[in-house]
Amino acid sequence: MATVTIRNVWKYYGETPAVKDLNITCPDGSFVSILGPSGCGKSSTMRMIAGLEHISSGDILFDDVRVNDLAPKDRDVAMVFENYALYPHKSVYENIANPLRLRDVKEATIKERVEGAAKLLEIGHLLGRRPHELSGGQKQRVAIGRAIVREPKLFLFDEPIAHLDAKLRAHMRGEIKHLQRTLGTTMVYVTHDQLEALSMADYIAVMHDGELQQWGTPSEIFNNPVNAWVAGFVGEPAMNFLTCGIKGEGDKVSLMHRNFEIPLLAGQVRQLNGAAQTGTARMGVRPDALSISMTKPDEAAMRGEIFVNELLGGDMLVEVALDDCRIRVKTTPEFAGKPGEACYLTVNRDKWHVFDAGDGHAYF
Amino acid sequence: MASRDVVSYDTPLSRVLRILASLFLALYLVWTLLPFVVMFVSSFKDMLEAFKLPAVGDWAGITVFFEFTPTFKHYTSLFTENSFGTYILNSLIAAGGSALISVVFGSLAAYSLSRVDFKGKQDLFFWIISTRMAPVVAVMVPLYAIFRSLDLVGTLPGLILAYTTFNLPFAIWMLKGFFDNVPYAIEEAQMVDGATRFEAFRAILPLVAPGIGAFIVLCVLFAWNDFLFAAIIGSGGAKTLPVATRELVQPQNIQWGSIMAAGVVTTAPMMLLGLVIRKYLVAGLTMGAVKE
Repeated sequence: MATVTIRNVWKYYGETPAVKDLNITCPDGSFVSILGPSGCGKSSTMRMIAGLEHISSGDILFDDVRVNDLAPKDRDVAMVFENYALYPHKSVYENIANPLRLRDVKEATIKERVEGAAKLLEIGHLLGRRPHELSGGQKQRVAIGRAIVREPKLFLFDEPIAHLDAKLRAHMRGEIKHLQRTLGTTMVYVTHDQLEALSMADYIAVMHDGELQQWGTPSEIFNNPVNAWVAGFVGEPAMNFLTCGIKGEGDKVSLMHRNFEIPLLAGQVRQLNGAAQTGTARMGVRPDALSISMTKPDEAAMRGEIFVNELLGGDMLVEVALDDCRIRVKTTPEFAGKPGEACYLTVNRDKWHVFDAGDGHAYF
Repeated sequence: MASRDVVSYDTPLSRVLRILASLFLALYLVWTLLPFVVMFVSSFKDMLEAFKLPAVGDWAGITVFFEFTPTFKHYTSLFTENSFGTYILNSLIAAGGSALISVVFGSLAAYSLSRVDFKGKQDLFFWIISTRMAPVVAVMVPLYAIFRSLDLVGTLPGLILAYTTFNLPFAIWMLKGFFDNVPYAIEEAQMVDGATRFEAFRAILPLVAPGIGAFIVLCVLFAWNDFLFAAIIGSGGAKTLPVATRELVQPQNIQWGSIMAAGVVTTAPMMLLGLVIRKYLVAGLTMGAVKE
């Protein structure tokens, strides 16, 4: 168990910076997810924590100990790799026992610990097999077994379930979260899948282009994204963005579009804080913060035309053409509109966001 | 790895070609095996019997080849009148020693070349393999001069060194391909598990074992069958089997029987080795080339 502090860390590959001035503190015992698209520097960050890559500048601390110059073996971390990296010539038992063998643990203790880990992961019946005889999900469990057998200070999981099929992935999300709660060990979990981060982590660090975009709890990240990039990356189906004009008349500020004008709520006018009182802004609305109807409910409704309906089991996703852009709306499967028909969209203004048209930072 | 049917259908032409191919293979088999049969059979024959030949065209007389009283005198003379025991040992030490040294240094170098990026790596790699491009004869004289000035001529260490100069580049070149195919993540997992870099290297050696095995065999074969190095650098103190066999040819007296027996003694171990490890050798030679 350890608090992990990443302080002003930079990583360069040649001239290219992969991680730029990263500052993160992972509290002791917490489940921290580093979320971002491929190439955002999340794996480099994890590999620097593990000691598999040098830190170009800055410090990484476990509790109060600077680990920059420690070899991986001296950092007491356990890692699960994206491709599992099992030892193909060793049995499952020996794979899991490997970290203990390298530490000269007594044979009886090894047996006890390996069997304990196998029991926890429900792979006791596979101990005699070789990795090539296992399915993807089983290999992944073995890789986790190898990590937990040692009771390290820190778990590092690098997209461990990215290669599993969707159903198994959903199952493993719950298992890994439960495992981390049970063991209470600090966990850094790298993923590009926002759903994994939202559903499993205590804290999420969203990274993009080597920079930390936002640090917060899943609900903070989802409900209060700091900029348009985070807002667009987190959430599925993705947030809708519309570039609007801003019209201010005294205390009343509205977002203007060719076919609608929606006033901001009183508190939101303050949050806009005079900035961009005139000019343009980007409105962001999640598909579930919109409601759709075939008749005009009020003056602030947006008029559009249904482009396509997608039934997603319990929900219906309607794509609406609004002039030259498309807006996605989540509604109930009972929705009766047909493609080509006119419809009206109403925004839930408690849940919408306005971002700066230039740098994309969020006003609210 | 997906296997698939190579679909072919019979045509008159393909049938004729198949018959021709079988015929060719049968002749080829005779061509390759007959010398060994003659060598093997003759090594058990007395001098007079060995030269009993049927007249040309007398196919019935072919039985003459098999009418003899087996004798082991040539074999016993190899080990009593000549010291073939020592020569076998020399051959084994030279071949085995060079294989061992080449595989140790070769795998270390190949691992580095596979894992570490540094300036001029491509050039270094090309230089290593380029040392194999000149024929041995071309460098024999300077090599001899160097070995003589170091007092290595006629010694086993000298012979081992000579073979190693030729085997090591081959080892590096061949084993690098095998290391390239081992995912880096496996070593990283080892290091995170608590291994040092060297322990991680040792841990992945089993994964390149087919390559190492195949290399050792090729290396031993090269040294065991070599005549040029053995004759020039090993001559005298470090006589190996091929050289010793050659010395059975004396100006007044060519000891055919002993030469045949020596031939059997030289070829048999390698043929047996080949039979035993055939499966692994093929697997080792092809595995490095194909990525999973």
